[in-house]
Amino acid sequence: MNHRRFILHLNVADFAVAVERVVDLSLRDKPVIVAPLQAARAAVYDMSEEAYRAGVRKGMLLTRATRICRTARVLPPRFDLYRKAMGSFVNEARGYSPVLEHGVEDGHLYLDITGTHRLFGTPPDVGWRLHRQIRSKLEIDPIWSLAGSKLVSKIGSRLVKPVGEYIVADGEEQRFLAPLPLHLLPGLSSGERQRLGQFNIGRIGELAALSRMQLEGVFGRRGEALFELSRGIDDSAVRPEEERPPRVVREHIFSDDCADRTVLKGVVGALAAQLGMELRATRRQARRVGLQLDYTDGTTVSRQASVRKGVADDDSLQRLALTALERSLTRRTRVRSCRLIGDRLHGRSPQLNLFAAPATGRKKEQLLAAMDRIRQRFGREAIRMGSHPVLH
Amino acid sequence: MVPLRVRSCFSLLRGTAPPAALCRRAAGFGYTGMALTDLENLYGLWSFLAACERHRISPIIGTEIETGTVDRLALLVRNEVGYRNLCNIISRRKRKEKLGVSPETASWYEGLILLSRSETVLRTSRECGLEAAADLGSRPTEKGSRLRHLAATLGIPAVAVPDSDLGAPGEHRAHLLLRAIGAGETLDSGEQAGGSVQPLESPEVYASRFSIWPEALQATEEIAERCAYRRPAAGLQMPPWQQHGSQSAGVVLRQEAYEGARERYGFSLPNQVIERLDYELGVIESMGFSSYFLVVRDIVQPLQPDGTRKHRRICGRGSGAASLVAYCLSITNVCPIRYNLYFERFLNPGRSDPPDIDIDFAWDERDQVLTEVLGMFGERAAMVCNHVCFKPRGAIRETAKAFGLPGYEISRMTKRLPWFFKRSGLSLQEQIATLPSLKDQDLSGPWAEIIDRASELIGLPRYLSVHPGGVVITEGPVQDYVPVEQAPKGVPIIQWEKDGTEESGLVKIDLLGNRSLGVIRDAIGNLRKNGAEFSEQRWHPEDDLQTKAAVGAGKTMGCFYIESPAMRLLQQKAGSGDFEQLVIQSSIIRPAANEFVREYVRRLHGGSWEPLHAALEAVLDETFGLMVYQEDVSKVAVALAGFSHSEADGLRKVLSKKDREFKLRDFRDKFYRGCRENNIESMEIDRIWAMMMSFDGYSFCKPHSASYARVSFQSAYLKTHFPAEFMAAVISNQGGYYSTFSYVSEAKRMGLSIDPPDVRESALPWRGQGTRIRVGLQALHGLSQETCDRILGCRGERHFRNFSDFLHRVQPAENEIRMLIDSGAVDGLEAKANRSRLYWEAAAREVRTRAAGGDGLFPAVEFDVPPLRDLSPIDRLRREYQALGFLCRAHPVSLVGKGKVRTCKGVDLAAHVGRTVDFIGLLLTGKIVSTKTGEAMEFLTFEDETAIIETTFFPEVYRRYAHILSSQKIYHLRGLVEEDFGALTLTVERVRLLSN
Repeated sequence: MNHRRFILHLNVADFAVAVERVVDLSLRDKPVIVAPLQAARAAVYDMSEEAYRAGVRKGMLLTRATRICRTARVLPPRFDLYRKAMGSFVNEARGYSPVLEHGVEDGHLYLDITGTHRLFGTPPDVGWRLHRQIRSKLEIDPIWSLAGSKLVSKIGSRLVKPVGEYIVADGEEQRFLAPLPLHLLPGLSSGERQRLGQFNIGRIGELAALSRMQLEGVFGRRGEALFELSRGIDDSAVRPEEERPPRVVREHIFSDDCADRTVLKGVVGALAAQLGMELRATRRQARRVGLQLDYTDGTTVSRQASVRKGVADDDSLQRLALTALERSLTRRTRVRSCRLIGDRLHGRSPQLNLFAAPATGRKKEQLLAAMDRIRQRFGREAIRMGSHPVLH
Repeated sequence: MVPLRVRSCFSLLRGTAPPAALCRRAAGFGYTGMALTDLENLYGLWSFLAACERHRISPIIGTEIETGTVDRLALLVRNEVGYRNLCNIISRRKRKEKLGVSPETASWYEGLILLSRSETVLRTSRECGLEAAADLGSRPTEKGSRLRHLAATLGIPAVAVPDSDLGAPGEHRAHLLLRAIGAGETLDSGEQAGGSVQPLESPEVYASRFSIWPEALQATEEIAERCAYRRPAAGLQMPPWQQHGSQSAGVVLRQEAYEGARERYGFSLPNQVIERLDYELGVIESMGFSSYFLVVRDIVQPLQPDGTRKHRRICGRGSGAASLVAYCLSITNVCPIRYNLYFERFLNPGRSDPPDIDIDFAWDERDQVLTEVLGMFGERAAMVCNHVCFKPRGAIRETAKAFGLPGYEISRMTKRLPWFFKRSGLSLQEQIATLPSLKDQDLSGPWAEIIDRASELIGLPRYLSVHPGGVVITEGPVQDYVPVEQAPKGVPIIQWEKDGTEESGLVKIDLLGNRSLGVIRDAIGNLRKNGAEFSEQRWHPEDDLQTKAAVGAGKTMGCFYIESPAMRLLQQKAGSGDFEQLVIQSSIIRPAANEFVREYVRRLHGGSWEPLHAALEAVLDETFGLMVYQEDVSKVAVALAGFSHSEADGLRKVLSKKDREFKLRDFRDKFYRGCRENNIESMEIDRIWAMMMSFDGYSFCKPHSASYARVSFQSAYLKTHFPAEFMAAVISNQGGYYSTFSYVSEAKRMGLSIDPPDVRESALPWRGQGTRIRVGLQALHGLSQETCDRILGCRGERHFRNFSDFLHRVQPAENEIRMLIDSGAVDGLEAKANRSRLYWEAAAREVRTRAAGGDGLFPAVEFDVPPLRDLSPIDRLRREYQALGFLCRAHPVSLVGKGKVRTCKGVDLAAHVGRTVDFIGLLLTGKIVSTKTGEAMEFLTFEDETAIIETTFFPEVYRRYAHILSSQKIYHLRGLVEEDFGALTLTVERVRLLSN
């Protein structure tokens, strides 16, 4: 029996720019930077290959980026548009296999097409066809790469970036990987890369020339993983979204990064209110609220706060969120974005309380229900607490 | 009303107004007196007293202390006893002692008036018979009302106080910024709106607020009247000399001075020496300074248990070097008779201020000396402090942190800011906007606000540091005279700076660290270790012809005080190498004296000159009619404006003070008046006054210069005759004008070979012998002292067999192994060292150690090392450079591709005078100066493998390239080779960055 898997990796390089170029054809072949415009300290959200070559990087201050790449067109990010485009991109792929794993709006997806040849033809044909289909329907040009594992297909994509395709035939993995530089190999920590540099090992093939014993001798337990990585061995499965634990996520990206505690508290409170609305709409409750702060220097700090009994009201969620904020505000640096995650979800019990809730609690519940109704009808920002800022 | 509770900026990171501004404000409001009550300190006492005198308001000395309750207790000084108690109380608080008011502690508060908001404190004070008043705050409140009733019951006054932190209402935002900086937090807009901090208001404001309790204002005046103590007046405080036997200090000093003289000049003393000694001893004794000399001698050469004195390598600085008595006591190191140094500069009966003897010790022995002094005198000794204030660079950095900007963005901005800004009418923002080095810096967004708000902090005190060497020794415990606290490095410091200390009458002795004394000590030590004989007994390097020639040619990199580019150029231009000229040169190079330097060189080479004024002909003859030394300022003031000697000395001293504008104005008026009376024309007076002002802040007196020149010559002698030993000592002692990289290059240019570090051969310091220098283990930054000790210890037991044996026995940490391999220090342990394989072996050993639970004591086993490629030669050099910061056998410039342009080597520049050449060099150091029109330009020092080159960047070129200039980078320069009195410079026209 043949256990050969076929994993297709699709990647739209510089996804936000690619989407913008679909909308505005005049942007093609020109350097493009996506970043908030009305902010003094805006950071680059995405950039085109031309801008990348000029030295622009994600997270770089826009003022610096535009000095490095003076001819670049700067566009404000349109997250809803990218989310929509990502949805269409995923939908096109979903037609070929239900086993599909993708990011939020980053233009990456893995598709496990093992065993689909009777339906759609040979795996390379699927690649070509899907690529053609996406190009003609969405007018974006993804890189695609086909191999027997997520690891090798991703390396294939990295190799041909920004455009192209790569097919690694069964049994060809090692020969394919051997001449490639180590930085194309995903899954190596910076410490491991540095150590390999000390051994003067710069190519994947040189790493693969070492025995398992030898690697374990200098990398300890990680030796086994390096041994497999260097040979393109990767058994990890493509994990569809449905298989992951459910959670509710709300994010805010500051156009100007922010270090003001009062503002941060307001934003986190507003995110908690959004989280609450979604939970109540789906009749669920969260037992944990996590906050991920992305600091402006690239550091990320995540902290959580949890309760025993699930909650969905704004007050409780805000309390949890602010506790998580206090725990994550460990640094004296501006925050670029914050992401609030409600998880450990469960359905709200339909059973009513045996004892009547206190009058104030009832009133609050009624108030929330009324606010939810207003928001459903007139939009998310139609009504909000005075201490919460408007979130875009 | 008299404001009784006012905090200045010396309530650190809280108050915003300097005492002077507060006094000006108070006087403007018509207050006749004011109390300064900073938080547990008297840091601002002397500026407060000076400002009160200027604005004619009566000062009340006070402080606020934490007593463990919510409210702080304010203490106001009534009399001498109260002042002493206040100093003691503050010192106790600084030792974190609790200071409740109770019958047991009542005696601590005698002579003080307590202002409190605590009912318990008020009741207890009353019971203990202490003077207290209820503090009602700055406006009537409910709590105030209760306190007022209590005060009436107890029969004590209740007073209204400003309780202010600000000098003006607009300083509120500076206060918030200071608080955020103090707490290490970011600015929070939630705090902007609220806040109870307030400025000092006018009497009318308080009168209107307290119109319901008018007696609370009246009471402040009664309290102010009781606080009649105006300033500490301890008189001149001489350090106590511990008498041995019954002889008086004067007799002992005479004996010791003569004994020392015989050691210096031989048994039969020349008449000149005897006369001078007698004269000096007479003056010293009549002024009561004999014991002071003996105390200093005991510090410099302490008595050892066996009765002999410990000999230390020292260099006397300051005017003390003009004393023959000091020279004979071995407190100083130059003969004042031979070098014509006037004792009167040091001591004369007309002076009332304390004598000033400052001494340099080898930098690594200085802390030991201080420990001995603090041990010898116990609580009667403490060090002087520095009030470290916000300067533009630090203020911007701290403000940017409070704005939450990430560290790398802050550094990118601040590292291109100059350390000092010139005083000008421009705002900080305008000054920064015009800086060429920030041409490509984005100053939009929060930076504009950051700079604006940072400018409000400039000049405000931030924290206390220890003065580099000032020690105060007093008759009784120091904390009876001034509050004492503990510096972070563990030594006791007084709360005043140098100027306040002098003002108070406490005598300060400067015990400073000097790198070059360590260099000379180590070079001679190295020589002796190599088996050479070297006697310092009759060592006169200033008479050595080869040394003079080297000094005259400016070959003095590494030599004390004469190694900077400006100094080396000056020596080349002067070309003499004479000791006497070096004394002048050491003094004439000052920030504000460039034009005098040029004039000096011209006159030295026979250029004609007229004296500044006929009356100055004899006065300044020795220095070609130029004012060179500090004392020349006094001499000119005496000769032209009829100043008395002590007045003239006052003028000289004011020039080096921080807070001098006010006093200087008086001296200026007097000088102009005096000159006009002597029929000197106005323009002439302006010119002479301007020359005197070039001594602003930083200048030397002749005895000091001579003392330094002596050490310079000793260094130059060692460099000339024992280059390997000397350069090894220069690098080992660190901290010279240049980086280790530059000294290594200089050693190579001198024809010395640099042998890389080697764990089999290297000692901890660098060692020189013959024409070779062996890099010391200290060059491997990141190698801990313990590991170095283990390397030397293990090597002493038996040789390392191989790398594995080395790792097994020394057990260096992971980062240390990297350093050892990259620097090549372990190459010698393997026959054909392959650094990739060495790394492998070390990593394998580390994994094995970890697996064995951290126990690295398993035998030195051989590991299965795969056949790895060795590094390419260029990679080896790159890593060697990263590990050491220099290359032993190559120069970075020689590794850079030159392209097609024909370039000129540094050593060949002399053949191209007057022509434009291309030169590739590595930037070592630079000095920004300002032209007469106020434009910035820079003198930069570059080097290639053959020579060190001085370059000039005129304003336009500097503006164009300043933002790409950074040390240790390699540049392609194009410029004109110029010569001035034999000194070569390259006037740069174009610059291109070649490599990082």
